[in-house]
Amino acid sequence: MTRLLVPFAIRAYLAGGLVAVTAPVIGSFLVQRRLSLIGDGMGHLAFAGVALGLWMGISPVWGALGAAVLGGFVLEVLRARGRLAGDLSLALIFYFGIALGIVVLSAIDRFDASALTVLFGNILVTDWTDIAVIAVLCAAVLGVTAVFYKELLAVALDEETARASGLPVDRLNVLLLVLTALLVAAGMHVVGLLLIAALLVIPVAAGSRLAHSFRGSMLWGVAAGFASALVGLVGSIAQGTLASGGAIVLTAIAVFVLATVIGRRAARRHPRRVGA
Amino acid sequence: MPVTVELTGVRFGYGAEPILDGVDLDLSAGEFAVLAGANGSGKSTLLKLCVGLLRPADGSVTVLGGSPLDPAIRRRIGYAPQGLRMATSLPVSVTEVVAAGLTPSKGLLRRMDRRDWSKVNAALESVGLGDLSAECLFELSGGQQQRAILARALVADPDILLLDEPTTGIDQRLRPALAQELRRRADAGATVVAVSHDPDDFHQECDRILVIEDGRVRQITHEEFHTHLALGGGGSR
Repeated sequence: MTRLLVPFAIRAYLAGGLVAVTAPVIGSFLVQRRLSLIGDGMGHLAFAGVALGLWMGISPVWGALGAAVLGGFVLEVLRARGRLAGDLSLALIFYFGIALGIVVLSAIDRFDASALTVLFGNILVTDWTDIAVIAVLCAAVLGVTAVFYKELLAVALDEETARASGLPVDRLNVLLLVLTALLVAAGMHVVGLLLIAALLVIPVAAGSRLAHSFRGSMLWGVAAGFASALVGLVGSIAQGTLASGGAIVLTAIAVFVLATVIGRRAARRHPRRVGA
Repeated sequence: MPVTVELTGVRFGYGAEPILDGVDLDLSAGEFAVLAGANGSGKSTLLKLCVGLLRPADGSVTVLGGSPLDPAIRRRIGYAPQGLRMATSLPVSVTEVVAAGLTPSKGLLRRMDRRDWSKVNAALESVGLGDLSAECLFELSGGQQQRAILARALVADPDILLLDEPTTGIDQRLRPALAQELRRRADAGATVVAVSHDPDDFHQECDRILVIEDGRVRQITHEEFHTHLALGGGGSR
């Protein structure tokens, strides 16, 4: 029990809670727009950014952020112009990012255990500086999303009609990807760059099983994300050797299964009305 | 009444073959027009040109005295595309869909207030969805979804309403009320254009029936419209 309340555990709860609460907020827009895999693409690019950052003597977080923002921007331009099919462009981004990261890290003789930490996270070694950076990034994501919520929702619901009604759709799309990049950078320490996309998507999927609205789905997603982070962290800290990032994501999947069961039972008990 | 939509010599095609080939059309404030035509004749294309989603290969489109690419002008247009165009990945309530129609006119950084929600409720009532506002859109019937999309186009009280097959899937007994609602909007000064297969949906309420044939728009009577349908008119592109 005392192990669960030692300082490194408290820092882990804080970092995990911040990212787990923020990720479903931005993830809701991505899932609704069928861009669930874009967080993965950015995570892979961010890995290359971390490697390039180490090579150039830049903080890994800033390297990850820069690469994710740049990659997200390029991806959106390609998608908007129809130059590449969505899954093909994402696949290219995945392979390019991970390969570049490995090549650069090996070239500077840093392809060691620390690479695994970047890819899969190690929340238990976060310090207060890391938490401050995570808090600033998450606050930026939540604040900007709150300001542009109705615009981002209108585009997520129907991009063509949003464009026809005069909304700056292209700029809002870039904004969404920049916010995703911020979240990816924030989540690097928590679950790692390969698993951060899971926190963007799985809690939202769980929330969608319990809600009848976008906002409800988002709020349930936030609750599911927070619960997953807390239970996953407590489990990994109590056990002692479990990887915290993987434990959080597996817990999120369990929450999704639970939400699906609950949602189906509720639907059977209260069938919806249908008319003309 | 001032002219609100003006197309002059508009040509447009998706390939080498033009769909619209020299369209000239004037529509005025307070006018309610029904647009008909065979499958692929260019009805939906014409609406998209008017709202700036497509650009003419030749000719000009003027809406409310300016370009339909101007966001300030687009904000004064209510556009309802054909069918549901949104991903069904997450649940979305009927209220959220309709409120999205107010977003452009609200402007950035301004939150929805009580008056906005009253407008949303009024739009829902006008299409008969008042009691389903909290329901998930994707759990409703096709006709109810269509009415929600129509309410989204109506909610901001636009100066121009461009509606692509607005009665598709809607119960026959509900259609007269919707036609009357569009008539009421036109009487209040809006220009209303509805693409429709069925002249009986609107002929009691509309001012003009327009048909696209051979890439051009011409006005016909209700009786000619019936003849047109008998010859295989309808559909969209």
